Amino acid sequence: MEPLASAVSGGELSIWELFWQAGLIVKLVMIGLLGASVWTWAIIIDKTISYNRMRAALNRFEQIFWSGQSLEELYRTLADRKTNGMGSIFVAAMREWKKSFEKGARTPLGLQTRIDKAMDLALTREMERLEGRLGFLATIGSAGPFIGLFGTVIGIMTSFQAIAGSKSTSLAVVAPGIAEALLATAIGLLAAIPAVIAYNKLSSDAGKLGARMEGFADEFSAILSRQIDEKVAQKA
Amino acid sequence: MKTGLSTSLILHAAAIAFGLVTLAAPKAHDAGEVQAFPVDMVTPEEFSQAMQGDKTASVKEKPAPKPTERKDAVLDARNVGENEVDLEDVPKPVAKPVKVETAAAPKVEPAPKPDPKPVEVKQPEPKPEPVAQPEPAPKPEPAPKPDPIAEAITAEATPQENLDFPAELPRPEARPEPPKPAVAKVEEPKKPEKQPEKQAEKKPEKPARETAKAPKQEDLEALTEEVAALLDKRAPAGGGAKRSEQQAAIGTDKPSKAEKLSVSEMDAMRQRLGQCWSIPAGVDDAALLKVSVRFRLDRSGELEARPEVIRGGGSSGAARTAAESAVRAVSKCAPFNLPADKYETWSEVVVNFDPSDMF
Repeated sequence: MEPLASAVSGGELSIWELFWQAGLIVKLVMIGLLGASVWTWAIIIDKTISYNRMRAALNRFEQIFWSGQSLEELYRTLADRKTNGMGSIFVAAMREWKKSFEKGARTPLGLQTRIDKAMDLALTREMERLEGRLGFLATIGSAGPFIGLFGTVIGIMTSFQAIAGSKSTSLAVVAPGIAEALLATAIGLLAAIPAVIAYNKLSSDAGKLGARMEGFADEFSAILSRQIDEKVAQKA
Repeated sequence: MKTGLSTSLILHAAAIAFGLVTLAAPKAHDAGEVQAFPVDMVTPEEFSQAMQGDKTASVKEKPAPKPTERKDAVLDARNVGENEVDLEDVPKPVAKPVKVETAAAPKVEPAPKPDPKPVEVKQPEPKPEPVAQPEPAPKPEPAPKPDPIAEAITAEATPQENLDFPAELPRPEARPEPPKPAVAKVEEPKKPEKQPEKQAEKKPEKPARETAKAPKQEDLEALTEEVAALLDKRAPAGGGAKRSEQQAAIGTDKPSKAEKLSVSEMDAMRQRLGQCWSIPAGVDDAALLKVSVRFRLDRSGELEARPEVIRGGGSSGAARTAAESAVRAVSKCAPFNLPADKYETWSEVVVNFDPSDMF
C-alpha cells in the first residue's frame, strides 16, 4: 500500500493519504478508535452467537424438563456435562438438594433457603456471562464520538498552526488539514453508531433471557419446596 | 470470543479495503478558469462629457460622413449576388462588366492593325524591284541598297531598344488571364489578333514610336499600367465604403474636463448677489420684483457689458425700479470670484432675482 500511496501523493486526498498526513495524536486516536470498532464488532458477533445458543439451550432444556422425565435422571445426565443457563441453575439446585439428603439433613427448614441461594448464585453467574462486555459497547457508543472529536480538534489546531506558518489562506492549503482532522470524527462515529445500536439490542435480549431463567428458577424452587414438604410429611 | 474477534477483524479489513477503493480520492471539482475583467462605473454626466466633441478640433467644411448603408438583404434569397431582387440566373451581373471592357479594348486594337500590314507589304516590294530592274541605270541600284542597310540598321537598332518592351509589355497579358473561364467566349477570338499585333508592332511600328516616346520611359510605364488596368477584366471588387478617418467633429465650448459649478459655488454667488441687491422699498406686489438678468463675464470675472434684463421689469414704475435695482446689484458685485477652470460654465450667467428665493 505504501509505494502506491507515495506514488499517488502530491495533492491526492485518498483516505490512506489523509491518515498518513495526520499528526501523531490524531493518528493514535484514529488507531484506537479503529481498534475499538474491531472489538465492538467482535463483541456484537460473539454476543449474538451466544444469545442464540442460549435461547436454543433454554428451549431444549424446558422441553426436556417438562417432558415428565424424572429429575434424578436429568440431574445424572447433566451433572457431568458443562451446562449453561437453566441447566446450570437446575444442577446447582439439585446438587444442594442431593447434598442435604445424602448427608441426612435433620431439618428441611434450612434446605429451602439453601437451594434458593444456590439457584440465585447460579442465576447471577449466568447473567454475568450474558451481560459481560456489553458495558464496553455502551462506553464506545457514548465516548466514541467524543474521542473522534478530540482527534479532530487536535488535527484542526495543528493544521491551523501550519496554515498560519504558510501565510496563505488559499482553500487548497486549508482543506487538506481539515479533511484529515475530520477523518478522526468519522472513525469515531463509525465505531460508536453500531455500538449504541448493538448495546440496546443485546441488553434487551439479555434481559429477556435473564427473566426467562429467573422464572424457571422460581418455578423449580416451588417444585423443590413441594418435594421437601412431601418428604417431611413422609418422615412424619 | 475468538470467532467474534476474527470475524470482526476480517469484516474491518474488508470494509477498509472497500473504502480505500471507493472513497479513495474524490474527483476534484472542475472549477474552470474564470477570467476577471475590469468594469468601470460611468455616471451619465461623465458619459455625456466623453461624447462631447473636441473644442480644439479644426473646423472643416465637410459634414461628418454618412454611415454606409447596406441594401436590405432578401431574407430567403436562393442566389447570392449584388441584386436587390432574388434572380434565377446569377451570372448576369458578371457578364455586364465584361461587355464594357470588350468594347473598350478593340478600340485600341484596330488602330495598330492597319499600320503593320502596309509596312510589311512595302518592305518586300522594294526588294523585288531591284531584281526586276537589273539593267536600267545604276541610279535605281544604289537606291535600293541603302534601303536594306538602313533597314538593317533600324532592325539592329530596334531589337536593342525592343528589349525594354518585352519586359514591360507582357504584364497586361498576364493579368487578364485569371478571368478567362468566365469570359472565355469573348477572349478567345482576341488572342490570335493580339499576337500578330505584337509581332508586327515590334518591328515596324516601334521605330516611329521610338523617335517620339523612347526617351520617356516613365510615360511608357504609366501607359502600360493604364493598358493593364483597361485589360483587367476582373469585376470591380465590392467592399463597404471606408469609414472616415477625419478628426473629431468640433463640439461644444465646454472642454471635456469642464464641470458644472458646484452647488456651493452657485450658492456663494447667489448669496453675494443677494447682499449687493437692495430691494426697492415700498413695492406691494412681490411678483413685480422678480427679475431675470443675463450678463457676460470675462475671464477675470468682470462684466463684459451692461447686464440685460430678460424677464420682469415691466413698464410700471415699480417693476422698472426692480429691474434697475437688479442690474445695479450685478454691476455692484461686479468682479465675481469664480473658478477660472470652469470659465466655460460661467462666461454667460442668468440670475433670477426673487426676494423669496434670495434671502
